[in-house]
Amino acid sequence: MNNKLAVNKKKIDISKVLLGNKTVFILILLLFIMSLVSDVFLTKTNLFNVLRQICVSVILGCGYTIIIGSGHIDLSVGTMMGLVGILVGKLLLAGVPITIAIFIGCLIGASCGALNATLITVFGLQPFIVTLATKSLYEGIGYLVTKMVPVSGLPKEFITLGQGTFLSIPIPVYVMFLTLVVMIVTVSRTKLGRHAIAIGGNTEAARVSGINVGRTRLKVYMIAGVCVGIAAAMLTARSASAQVAAGQGMEMDSIAAVVMGGTPMGGGKATVLGTLFGCIIVGVVKNGLNLLGVDPNWQVIAKGMMILLAVVLDVISTRMYSNRNKTTKVK
Amino acid sequence: MDSALLEMRNISKRFPGVVALDNVELTVKRGEIHAVIGENGAGKSTLMKILIGLYERDSGTVVFDGNPVYFRNPTDALAKGVSMIHQEMSLVPTMTVAENIWLGQESKFTRFGMISIKKRYQATCQLLEEWALSLNPNALINTISVAQMQLVELARALSYNAKIIIMDEPTSALTDTEIKQLFSIVRRLAKENGVSIIFISHKLNEIFEICDSLSVYRDGHYINSFNIDEINMDQLISMIAGRELSEMFPKKPAPVGETLLEVRNLTREGVFSDVSFKLQRGEILGFCGLMGAGRTEIMRALFGIDNYTSGEVLINGEKVHIKSPSDAVKHGLGMITEDRLRMGAIHNISVLANTTLAKFHDICNKFGFYSPKNDIAAFKSVAEKLMIKYSAPNDLMKQLSGGNQQKVIIGRWLLTDPQILILDEPTRGIDVGAKTEIHRLISNLANQGKAIIMVSSEMPEILGMSDRIIVVREGRIVHESSVKTAEQEELMAYAFGTKHADRIS
Repeated sequence: MNNKLAVNKKKIDISKVLLGNKTVFILILLLFIMSLVSDVFLTKTNLFNVLRQICVSVILGCGYTIIIGSGHIDLSVGTMMGLVGILVGKLLLAGVPITIAIFIGCLIGASCGALNATLITVFGLQPFIVTLATKSLYEGIGYLVTKMVPVSGLPKEFITLGQGTFLSIPIPVYVMFLTLVVMIVTVSRTKLGRHAIAIGGNTEAARVSGINVGRTRLKVYMIAGVCVGIAAAMLTARSASAQVAAGQGMEMDSIAAVVMGGTPMGGGKATVLGTLFGCIIVGVVKNGLNLLGVDPNWQVIAKGMMILLAVVLDVISTRMYSNRNKTTKVK
Repeated sequence: MDSALLEMRNISKRFPGVVALDNVELTVKRGEIHAVIGENGAGKSTLMKILIGLYERDSGTVVFDGNPVYFRNPTDALAKGVSMIHQEMSLVPTMTVAENIWLGQESKFTRFGMISIKKRYQATCQLLEEWALSLNPNALINTISVAQMQLVELARALSYNAKIIIMDEPTSALTDTEIKQLFSIVRRLAKENGVSIIFISHKLNEIFEICDSLSVYRDGHYINSFNIDEINMDQLISMIAGRELSEMFPKKPAPVGETLLEVRNLTREGVFSDVSFKLQRGEILGFCGLMGAGRTEIMRALFGIDNYTSGEVLINGEKVHIKSPSDAVKHGLGMITEDRLRMGAIHNISVLANTTLAKFHDICNKFGFYSPKNDIAAFKSVAEKLMIKYSAPNDLMKQLSGGNQQKVIIGRWLLTDPQILILDEPTRGIDVGAKTEIHRLISNLANQGKAIIMVSSEMPEILGMSDRIIVVREGRIVHESSVKTAEQEELMAYAFGTKHADRIS
């Protein structure tokens, strides 16, 4: 009897591990399948290519994770990224040093985030509506600044940032890992992270516990804004030009990656690492379909299917897990 | 009249780690009001959820109206005549009374896919008239009182021709007058129309007032059933707790020190006015009054959740202006809010994070980084002191029972070491055993020199715990007395306004 119980217990632990890290296992499964169907996939060039492609979405997703974890949403990050890219480009063309231009880009991102947060807090508005409005605002400013002409002719050193390598690893990958580490620490190891998640869990309870909800929201949106700034610089450097449309739809891709990674839409939980895996899955599937020569229009459909699959799988596994608990675990 | 309408026999149910019900039974006769009694975690709600098909039973039989039944889900149970009114009401606030009553039964009034509003209105009037429920069918739910909402829930149950209605803590948000009205309706349903009622309540005096019989459960076991005249309050309490509760209110007198808090003419236009009182170190100041008298609103303003229009607040003799709860915390205040579900517990984050929430800046080191070691240490210190029952610090808050959640929230504030602690209905919806523990804790805090304000709707709690008592009615302080001279009847008279203010405040 004792033995049986022990075996039972072990089994449950395995399923717990499987369900708790399903994003990782899906990713491993995906990599396995890809390596079988394509002999190009596992080459160093291709893997670096994938990494380079997902850098921007990972950096953006890092910031977005804390926004969604705190129960908020930001529909303006896409056009915000376009705008920041343009302004950084213009600064570079005007002869501003690269580091300063990128720094100012981050400041602009933070200011845009601050504007979103302030409007939400001061007027007590819904984040959805506020950021829907500012999305249009940032887009319009972008078009006015560029007069619809892409910003190009950027300095070579800057373009190297996006296209070059250091120690044979693409430079954006370093930036991505740095952002990841900073955001993981921020979410799980700082007061701000804990407060943001508490607000996502129950805003009123957090407020009554002495948490300054407005100030925390401001910080959350500003941090996400800084991530937008970094992502914009990386994207501009990689594509060697900046235009408003560059960030189009990125907010939706970010939401998809964050939710696939395991951060619930309603907030109260946030996992930056999960977002990374979410982004990698999207990147690998896209790359795989490209390698297999699938029509780009089908790739769009594949993305939609993936998001649905991720969410449905989440629901099913949670249900399965609780059922298993109810029937087998005996004490 | 004497035949059993419902018989549940040998019901067992296991959950991970616990046996929630072990060979439990319940028998309810036709037309009787039967109380189901037990502490939180005794298995009452599990038993009810099995009855209405929300949970599957592991073993046992249910015989309803002479036939063995197995309800697959609440809709199935409803169709057969078993209806449950949940503690958290399930009404849609933006819909009318009529729309809510017939929610899910619209097909009764539908022709070619269109609802006949007239037909539904008529059916509603007929239903309300038949059961003499005074409700306006066209009133929006968010404009009617909580008591009226209970009646809407009742009407909905009756619209399904319920033979048995389960009422879970129906009075917890009602005033005494409203409770009386509800009881007279419930009594009529049972006595004149033969509807059986299963009544779940923590308020034992209510059970003696309205029920015909009762069943007691403890730790997932069935203890016994009685007719109401076979048992008295003391016997019942010891049976529920499984131990003799010599005293419900273990209050030790505390030495009273200097004045910590002084409130002068605090006013929030249209809500409360001219509220003045002093609070001393070591003192428990009881605030009583009817639901909606303005007690909670005064506390919310003091703690900075709402703002006030005029008046002064002095802490330690110094004038302060508290504009937000974070200000309040800085000034050494702590507050346990009345609405645990909405404003206290954060259900989807861990017990650990819930406990150290208000104290989090001290958990972090000087660079603002989180230290898991400090976090766990702080949590363990209060968890031990408060005897919080949990299996791991990372359990989600929603896995704890109501009493333990309340302890976590008390712990949250103990960690901030507040000098002034506001407790708004600290033991609402908590079982007898946990109540006594919380009372002991409050008394200990006063003995440590904290100043405590306790708002409560339960007169025995006010009388048993307070040093001084303030009665609030219609947003004003109408009476203040020492506990030594206070009489329950007198306090009630002030609260209801049959006795008028003894001072102009």
